Amino acid sequence: MSKDKRVLGKVGMALLLVFFYAPILFMIIFSFNSSKSLTHFTGFSLRWYEAMLKNHSMMESLYITIIIALLATIISTIIGTITAIGLSKSKKVLRAFVSQVNDFPIMNPEIVTAIGLMLLFITFQIEKGFVTLLLAHIAFCIPYVILSIMPKIKSLDPNLADAAMDLGATPWQALVKVIVPQIMPGIVSGALIAFTMSFDDFVISYFVTGQGVKNLSIMVYTMSKRINPSVNAISTLVVLLITITLTIVNILPIIRKKTSPSKQNKPWKWAVAGVVVVGLVASLFGLNKSAGSQPYAGQTLHVYNWGEYTGENIISGFEELTGAKVIMDNFDSNEQMYIKVANGDAYDVLVPSDYMIQRMMQEKMLQKLEPETRKECLGELVDAIKGLPYDPKNEYSIPYFWGTVGIVYDKRKVSEEDLEKDGWDIFLDQKFKGDIYLYDSERDSFMMALKALGSSMNTTSQDELNAAYNWLIQCVQTMDPEIVTDEIIDNMAQARKALGVIYSGDAAYVMSENENMGFYMPKSGTNLWSDAMVIPKNAKNPKLANEFIRYITSYDAAMDNSSYVGYTSPNKEVMEELGGKGGDYDGINAYTPRAGYDKDEVFQYDETTRKIIADLWSRVKVSASNAH
Amino acid sequence: MKKFQQLAIPYIVWACIMLLLPMLLIAFYSIIQQGNSIVHFKLTLDNYVRFFTDKDFLLILWRSLWIAIKTTIICLLIGYPIAYFISKNSPKVQQILVLAITLPTWINMLVRTYAWIGILSSDGIISSFLGLFGIHTELLYTEAAVLIGMVYNFLPFMILQINTALTKMDKSLLEAAQDLGANKFQTFWKVIFPLSLPGVVSGITLVFLPAVSSFFIPKLLGGGQFFLIGNVIENQFITVGEWNFGSAISMIMAMIMMLLMMLVRKLEERNKEEK
Repeated sequence: MSKDKRVLGKVGMALLLVFFYAPILFMIIFSFNSSKSLTHFTGFSLRWYEAMLKNHSMMESLYITIIIALLATIISTIIGTITAIGLSKSKKVLRAFVSQVNDFPIMNPEIVTAIGLMLLFITFQIEKGFVTLLLAHIAFCIPYVILSIMPKIKSLDPNLADAAMDLGATPWQALVKVIVPQIMPGIVSGALIAFTMSFDDFVISYFVTGQGVKNLSIMVYTMSKRINPSVNAISTLVVLLITITLTIVNILPIIRKKTSPSKQNKPWKWAVAGVVVVGLVASLFGLNKSAGSQPYAGQTLHVYNWGEYTGENIISGFEELTGAKVIMDNFDSNEQMYIKVANGDAYDVLVPSDYMIQRMMQEKMLQKLEPETRKECLGELVDAIKGLPYDPKNEYSIPYFWGTVGIVYDKRKVSEEDLEKDGWDIFLDQKFKGDIYLYDSERDSFMMALKALGSSMNTTSQDELNAAYNWLIQCVQTMDPEIVTDEIIDNMAQARKALGVIYSGDAAYVMSENENMGFYMPKSGTNLWSDAMVIPKNAKNPKLANEFIRYITSYDAAMDNSSYVGYTSPNKEVMEELGGKGGDYDGINAYTPRAGYDKDEVFQYDETTRKIIADLWSRVKVSASNAH
Repeated sequence: MKKFQQLAIPYIVWACIMLLLPMLLIAFYSIIQQGNSIVHFKLTLDNYVRFFTDKDFLLILWRSLWIAIKTTIICLLIGYPIAYFISKNSPKVQQILVLAITLPTWINMLVRTYAWIGILSSDGIISSFLGLFGIHTELLYTEAAVLIGMVYNFLPFMILQINTALTKMDKSLLEAAQDLGANKFQTFWKVIFPLSLPGVVSGITLVFLPAVSSFFIPKLLGGGQFFLIGNVIENQFITVGEWNFGSAISMIMAMIMMLLMMLVRKLEERNKEEK
């Protein structure tokens, strides 16, 4: 190579390393940021590490990632080794069959493997959770282990085992003392691949897990919608762990060589195995330490709630009160929640919206609340949300939050007159092309379109639905919108776009963060919604669930919830205090919903319309993505 | 020796249940009607017809393939020279460089993709830098962002595969070529490149495969309006709930991949025969 080319190569290599390492460096730097921003460093602080340590679902995701990776590696390495040895002596047909089948997880797109396993678990009604996660990981790891051991076995002398046995070794001894040491490099590299695959996996885990069991990838995926620098903090922790592990792995053999030149490496191996086992046991104990004298000590409550929908101290408060452990899992849409629950995932408390509660009641998926719960909670509630049409006597549900849907807008870009004049049609105004957010909810998108066209949002008329579909298609094809969910909250708080469809509670948060933002409810009407706590039929701990519902409705918890999240509290006292003079949301119109306006409606459930809307909305999204 | 044969039996049973059966289930769900159970069902091809008669779905499939092709080409164009450069160094330096490239892949893919959100956002470092030159562009939630995310995640596979092929090469062949009067360009084009082809091919498959089906990179960096075929499948299973249609799309994707794989293997075999 000429000198010029060498220099060029070095520069290219350097640029590449910058490309690879800059994002990781950024992540580490911003994990120490004193503010929430991911783009401006405002000062050094450890607050995100504190937040991470306090957030036990985050810490647990790390623990689950490591445990699953260790178990999957150990099990798949052992099975893989035994199988590879067996296969080498088997008939050719059998070998060909296994290598064909092993190719499935290696050659198929990951999402296909994931869906196959999910269908398997659901079809045979195996409850999704830790066990299914582990089984799936073992399933996709073994083929890689076999693949890396096979070549080593092929290069062995086929008579090796026979020779050992002729010399008096039992088959077991021949295996362990002769064959395994010969193929050790293959086994080690297989184990390494298995560990990496398992540690890194997202797609397969995402589809096969349940019961709130999350690994790190799933946690990052569900948290990625809101800016949350604790994700950076936990990622930095992972980088640190990996660096330490790699250093140990690379340095230990060197030390070992220096201290014991003889080939006696067994004590060392046993020591490592011992450390691993002790570590496992210790961490297991660490997690189960909460066995106190409280009434529900040792029990677990599984809650399935919207993302970013609980106050800071809600879970820890309930855990202190009852001694129970709370596992909270998040969804982004009622439909996603419904599919999971309908397919057998068992939760104790769900927080669906009005129409979904109606549907679940119709399909007999819910159980009645305890009478005391009903009585105690009704005493605390705002009148406007008691006895709503979907559950007139509140036999099944107690509201969690309520509000409307409206338009969040940047007062510097959008005038009040425009909003008054256009209403929802402002989302078709070319002036704001490329400057709008739509919300990824089939219901509320159709609500907006139907209201814009002057129809009822509960219409069952095919023509009106088609007209609404065309309205939405026109919007996505001519307005270049971004279709988001919770990303809208931080983005509008930073005034990234002029307009967006938003839930009133999120708007209250946005307005409290940025005074240039306003909230407008169109005159043609909107959706007056409520999300309420219900207990599904297959709940494992309904008693504790009732306890939780009473707790959430009580003044202290409701206060924490509403002041932290920004959604309107169903607790009368809390709502009046927060929205009134001197409250956190004083002067923010989004906090106190427009009650009693005759064009506002509550969603009702209708199976046929649901299917039509679901299908049409996925086509709107497809069309939006093709419009780019 | 018979004893050892039996060692494989447990795994064969396991593989049938955990690897073969799931694929059969997808195939089965894709040809029955929505709402059918595994015992009572009606066979239908509607799910396939629905996909192939809808130009929007076909367009998304095409776009997914196209963005995967672009990713692969970019990875190849960057990856080959880099792998070549690495292979020209002394073994010790090579080891360090390879380690430097492998290291980031040990960190969770989602975590690394998440890190790009801050960098690409409109007040992030790249946009601020471009702003100094008067260029104002939004990068996050565009195709460019998705492309960057994919290249970032998959480029190491390409480099490592090509590098392995290049270092395995018999160095005496290069000397022979030079002795026979080939210039540098000829040596590269007639000797080095053909010999590194197996690495290139496996690099391409390792990049192309995950790129086509990726769904979290488009979701994190492309936003909700950026749908690829992986997102369509996720959407069918997670929010729409039409598993039969979702299974059909999965089957179609698996089939396309299988055909491509077979094609690649054929090409490789022909290559070997020619030699």
